[in-house]
Amino acid sequence: MSKGANSTLLQRNRDPFIRIKMLMGIILASVFLFPIIWMLFVSIKPEDMSITDPIKWFLPPYTFTNYLSVMAESDVLLWLWNSAFIGIATTILTLIVTSLAAFAISKIKFRYKKFIFLFFLAGMMVPGEATIIPLFEIVKSMNMLDTYAGLILPMVASPIGVIILKSFFDGVPDELMESAKIDGCSHWRLYWNIVLPLAKPAMAAIAIFTFIGSWNNFLWPFLAIVSEELYTLPIGIPSFNSTYSTTYVLPMTVNAVASIPVIIAFLIFEKQIVKGVSFTGIKG
Amino acid sequence: MKNQVWRNDLLAGLFLLPFFIVYMVFTIFPIFKGLQMSFFEWTLIEQGEFVGFSQYTSLFTDPDFWSSLWNTTFFVLLSTPGMIILALILALLANINVGSKLRTFLRGSYFIPSILSVSVISYIAIFMLQPYSGIVNNIINSLGYEQQVFWLTNPTMAWISIVGVTLWWTVGFNMILFLTSLQDIPDNYYEAAEIDGATRWQMFKSITLPQLVPISRVILLLQVLASFKVFAQILLITDGGPGTATRPLIQYIYEMGFERYDLGYAAAMSYVLFFILLVLSIFQLRSGGQGGRMI
Repeated sequence: MSKGANSTLLQRNRDPFIRIKMLMGIILASVFLFPIIWMLFVSIKPEDMSITDPIKWFLPPYTFTNYLSVMAESDVLLWLWNSAFIGIATTILTLIVTSLAAFAISKIKFRYKKFIFLFFLAGMMVPGEATIIPLFEIVKSMNMLDTYAGLILPMVASPIGVIILKSFFDGVPDELMESAKIDGCSHWRLYWNIVLPLAKPAMAAIAIFTFIGSWNNFLWPFLAIVSEELYTLPIGIPSFNSTYSTTYVLPMTVNAVASIPVIIAFLIFEKQIVKGVSFTGIKG
Repeated sequence: MKNQVWRNDLLAGLFLLPFFIVYMVFTIFPIFKGLQMSFFEWTLIEQGEFVGFSQYTSLFTDPDFWSSLWNTTFFVLLSTPGMIILALILALLANINVGSKLRTFLRGSYFIPSILSVSVISYIAIFMLQPYSGIVNNIINSLGYEQQVFWLTNPTMAWISIVGVTLWWTVGFNMILFLTSLQDIPDNYYEAAEIDGATRWQMFKSITLPQLVPISRVILLLQVLASFKVFAQILLITDGGPGTATRPLIQYIYEMGFERYDLGYAAAMSYVLFFILLVLSIFQLRSGGQGGRMI
């Protein structure tokens, strides 16, 4: 950030279009925010509103009873819980398995290391969408369809996580490792007490990505969930909203309930999220 | 000494084991399972008989396969230029020299739709784009255009809507990648150019743009790869309609597998998709994107 700021600071008074650019930036920002703001306003309109004058969507009367109605009429709180639980479990398991594997590849001398690392790398080229049909059969034959385990475990093996953590662990000086070894540290303690704490930024980036990916995952839960008790937000929302077509208020309230937690999380973790995007270059 | 080698192998094996198990079962095994399935009659309930390549040959004469593959390709062609040009424009705007508060606000505004669930953005779009009662038509009407635009029921408009919604939803990712790259351009390049009396446009043309070429290549390939997997927003917004005008390949695979219970045929089509995506990602790795940068 600082670099960009400096480079342009130099030319501060020389950009004749700065005001126009600012204006364009703000107009575009409003366009990007508009649907979200509209959703939030609709969610606080009385339920039987029918509106054709666009400005009226944003004017009073307001009410918060819709939030109570959707909690009574839909299972949105259950979906929220399921999404949170699956997201947290997926994230924790991903961090554990990827960091263990990355530690071995980065810090332990063993045979066929190169081969194993390349084998893991190859996984990045396997598009999950194209193997979803056989995945369905495999999870079915393991009797894990329609279970939490079946929703969580297939999402845990993240080759990109191993790669990022490996490159981070590589930065931990070997002298530090050697001196710890002389002090009688086992590999387990090296992993847990020395390497992991140093890799916190990378772990945070992976955690945020894994969680957002899981929170928004559609295709796999769409196939693997049958019971309504397991519905996540992306699956529950369409099941509820598709029953409405003329009144928008309750569907937008459900959308708002699903979105407000992630918007708040975004505002808190914006820096880390932005860093994570640029760090990994992964698409969500 | 030999003992030590074995001990290290065993130790590494223990650390690798948890990842190895999930990776083998859920990432590698499906590749082979899918190949097997594509050679069999296979319903949701049971494995049928071996049919050799017949599902692949019937796929090549299935007009629905071709039309859905074309729809996916069409989506890639329609959305990719916007995904890159708009992302670049947004990144340049989010990097202008004003207070850092405004810059953070601009960056956040462009990016925030990306964190919303596909279901949320799809239903926002559906309700905003309704004829008669949707706010988009209301705005158009109040600007003086008195007719209704049928955003989702006319094939051309349906494509415009899907591409527009997808742009709004995901362009923020690419914007961040451009922005980071912009901020990585060393200041002294600009300082030197300034001393030489270069205009702002000249600096943009001969410093900024060339410096963005590598990241543009990465973004292009990531984008094509991601767009080829388009499914959820189309399923939710138009359900592939009107008719099958916007139905992408993954939706057709889904319908074959889970509505007509022909998993074998669905697996054969998945293999074609797999092959296309594999070729694209080999391109990507070779051009040094994603992993290449990290290793």
